[in-house]
Amino acid sequence: MKATPVPLSKRMFRALLKFLPEDFRSDYGREMEHTFEDQEREARSRSGVTGVARVWWETLRGIFTTAPREHWEMLQQDAAYALRTMRKNLGFTVLAVLTLALGIGANTAIFSVVHGVLIKPLPYAQGHQLVFIRQQAQKEGIDDTGFSVHEIEDYRQQSHSLAGLVEYHNMSFILYGHGDPDRVRTAVVSANYFDLFRISPLMGRTFLADDDKEGAAPVLILSYEYWKDKFGSDPEIVGKTFELNDKPHTVVGVLPPVPQYPLESDVFMPTSACPFRSSKKMAEDRDMRMMEAFGRLKPGVSLEQANADLSTIAGQLKAEYPKSYPDSMGYGVVTTALREELTHDAKPTLFVLLAAAGFVLLIACANVANLTLARMSQRERELAVRTALGAGRSRLLRQLLTESALMALFGGALGLVAAYASLGLLTDFAARLTPRAREIRIDFGVLVFTLVAALGTSMIFGTISAFFSRINLSNGLKEGSSGAGSGQHRNRVRSVLIVSQIAFSFMLLIGAGLMLRSLYKLQQVDAGFVPQRVLAMRTTLSFSKYATNEQAAVAIKKLLERVEAEPGVLSAAITTGYPLEAEVIAAGPTAYSGPFQIQGRDLRPGEAPPVGGQFSVSSNYFQTLGIPLKAGRFFADTDMQKSEQVVIINEAMKQQFWSNESPIGQHVSGDNGEHWATIVGVVGDVREFGLNRAASPEFFVPQLQNPGAAALIVRTVSDPGTMARAITKAVHEVDSQAAITRVMTLEQARHDSLASPRVTASLLGLFAALALLIAASGIGGIMALSVSQRIREIGIRIALGAQPSAILRMILGQGLMLAVLGLSIGVAGALALKGLMKSLLFGVTPADPVTFATVGIVLGGAAIIASYLPARRAASIDPVDTLRME
Amino acid sequence: MGRSQESSDAGKQEPLTTAMFHVLLALADGEKHGYAILKEVARRTDGKVRLSAGTLYGIIKRLNAENWIVESAKRPVAGLDDERRRYYRLTEAGRRVAVNEARRLEELVAMARTKNLFRKPELA
Repeated sequence: MKATPVPLSKRMFRALLKFLPEDFRSDYGREMEHTFEDQEREARSRSGVTGVARVWWETLRGIFTTAPREHWEMLQQDAAYALRTMRKNLGFTVLAVLTLALGIGANTAIFSVVHGVLIKPLPYAQGHQLVFIRQQAQKEGIDDTGFSVHEIEDYRQQSHSLAGLVEYHNMSFILYGHGDPDRVRTAVVSANYFDLFRISPLMGRTFLADDDKEGAAPVLILSYEYWKDKFGSDPEIVGKTFELNDKPHTVVGVLPPVPQYPLESDVFMPTSACPFRSSKKMAEDRDMRMMEAFGRLKPGVSLEQANADLSTIAGQLKAEYPKSYPDSMGYGVVTTALREELTHDAKPTLFVLLAAAGFVLLIACANVANLTLARMSQRERELAVRTALGAGRSRLLRQLLTESALMALFGGALGLVAAYASLGLLTDFAARLTPRAREIRIDFGVLVFTLVAALGTSMIFGTISAFFSRINLSNGLKEGSSGAGSGQHRNRVRSVLIVSQIAFSFMLLIGAGLMLRSLYKLQQVDAGFVPQRVLAMRTTLSFSKYATNEQAAVAIKKLLERVEAEPGVLSAAITTGYPLEAEVIAAGPTAYSGPFQIQGRDLRPGEAPPVGGQFSVSSNYFQTLGIPLKAGRFFADTDMQKSEQVVIINEAMKQQFWSNESPIGQHVSGDNGEHWATIVGVVGDVREFGLNRAASPEFFVPQLQNPGAAALIVRTVSDPGTMARAITKAVHEVDSQAAITRVMTLEQARHDSLASPRVTASLLGLFAALALLIAASGIGGIMALSVSQRIREIGIRIALGAQPSAILRMILGQGLMLAVLGLSIGVAGALALKGLMKSLLFGVTPADPVTFATVGIVLGGAAIIASYLPARRAASIDPVDTLRME
Repeated sequence: MGRSQESSDAGKQEPLTTAMFHVLLALADGEKHGYAILKEVARRTDGKVRLSAGTLYGIIKRLNAENWIVESAKRPVAGLDDERRRYYRLTEAGRRVAVNEARRLEELVAMARTKNLFRKPELA
């Protein structure tokens, strides 16, 4: 008989029925179809097309109200059933939920960081329009020369692509009037700085144009953190007055927590209030570059257009003021999106951690799928009975998926708690990588991620286990309860899962191993000084009190004499920045570097002058830090302002410029030949800017000739930590208005400088340890199962004369086989991911053979240990018992 | 699976939805198949309550689960029968539920009467 074509309306109705649960359809589908046909036929004969339309409308409405209710009801039933099953198998449930909690927790925690730092838009209105503008001297390799007052003005006036341009520079001042004198990191900014960023104050107001006028009453805005930490979130702070730079400054506002760039600041002041910025020299000299610049793109203007626009201005300035922009320096401007600027340093680490957390979750999934498969052998009969009773396959799949979803949700909830608990730690960690760390929180976006991760996870392991259990459903009833034969195929699936767990664990262990090795290498680095028993503190003298260099030099000398007289102090020194100081690392070499000239070595036309770091130190500096003298002499107290200008250079500078001769007696100038200083000594290289940064050419000038913002360092006889109070007191005896902040030992500073690689290594190590544990328990589990399934076979082998040691070797060999397979894939994977780790490593290549070998041995060893117990059990099988069991 | 039969207990019975009550009513005078129920309800309410295939079978499933209606084993004579059709019949429990619901409504109406709700509007 030829089939008649199914009419369109019937086909449409059938399609509509698909929205209902399968059970419902199989119960009522045909009947519904029939009823619908009757209804449609009658409506057509009675009222034609309008009648049919009405029936369709009512039917659609009916199905879309019934379908959700039916699905929901089924979900409730499935969930209740799943909860009963989970309660019955409590051990399995707890294990699976904990595994998932670890996987989802790790991902939620890392994602909350990634979300806060990389994904969320900047916390400013239209934040994507904000740009950071840097002037560079490319030929010199200087990434950021800063801008002078004139330059800021020129770019602001001539730019067509920017809606606004503001300036920023950072100073340290002393704030009086609230407890001890406090050194405040001060951002000096244009009056419209906050308007450009579109930051509304938490309290009070931001700056007005009048605040920046000459003679305006000095005002301050506090950063959120400073207000919170130093003033205990005082709600009455606005209107209070504090003394800075000899003048009362009134607090006019408090900022919300916003990222601060390039440096963290405690307070903000308008440019007119900064004595340096408003000095005549700064205002008039085009070459006095100390400001950073931020801009806001006009709507619709792209970064490229802005770059082109500002480069044109740079070209015009160069033509107009050739002396300020010598060809040899290669001056130019570059505009970067602020967002990129804020997050650039954090990206490599965060991507590695995200990948690692993802691996942990995959391993957890594979493990739970494996556990579920193992349990399936017990549940096979239950599922087969339900199939026999009429439950469709998709119905059973739905049931199994509901179970896995519930487990994943429980795991997700637990993981969320774990992530929440680790948030403080992670924020501290991220703060070393990006100023956006303060935006990290578990918010709606993160909750959605956790939910998606949990449900996605359940889909993965639920589908794996359900799919492979489905294949065997029809066999369940036929076979004996031991389920021996049906396991064959599934064991292969389980082996694949184990192999992938081992492979991912290997990659994680490699990541952790590489980080640990590079952390170890960093710790072994000789930084070039002796950090033990040295105390350091930022000691800021009020420069308004010591107006001239002579006055400041006298004060510093007095201060050092007083501190050195303190019992227990071996020596003391003053420096603009000590090695591995957080501020020095944050500012980076550029902030301390400048071009210099060597007498007698004229530059060829177009040749860039050499660049060196410069530190101003007092005479005892090198002795106090234990920096060795390589040639010449240290500074002496006789190297005073009036005497001949002298410098000491480091080994790196000697190697670069006087590799075959003695630099002693040579002359260098840091101010275009205006003053020449004689090199009197060469000292050992010091890693000032991080243990991972080799020393670059540096010269040291005597603090007494160039007094500047300073840190006091003190070498003590015993534990320096206990001396802090006595030394603070001694300093205040000399100058009660000196601000002392950031008291710490040099060992602490050295330790802190490695915080970021240490936390990365710890996190990766933790993830890898979890992975190892999960993978090892997985191997142990599958070997135990395989042994229990093969008891009869092994019994017969033994009965036929097989030695227990041979059985032991056989089972161990199987475990090892899985491990070797997993390891091979892991090696390939780790090599493929080489690039990801590269930028985080120090002194180790991403394909470091030592790490690969060690990890291979650890993982292989874990596999053997995990297989040993089941193997021993197999070897001790009593053939008589086995046969009796049958 | 489904709700237990205890919920048919008259005392604690929750109000039925209008549609459910109408389906029970439609079956009060004899068993019917789906389309007949649907027509009966529309006829009796002058088309004010209109069920569709989508809503009707959701209700039938629930009434069935509560054991208030059952599928009837009796079928019409062979020539008039359509094997896709099923006939439903009110159970004793279902009848009790319908009666309880009717009483509840009756009491409500009586209450409204004592409050003089139905008085003719006074002409101003």
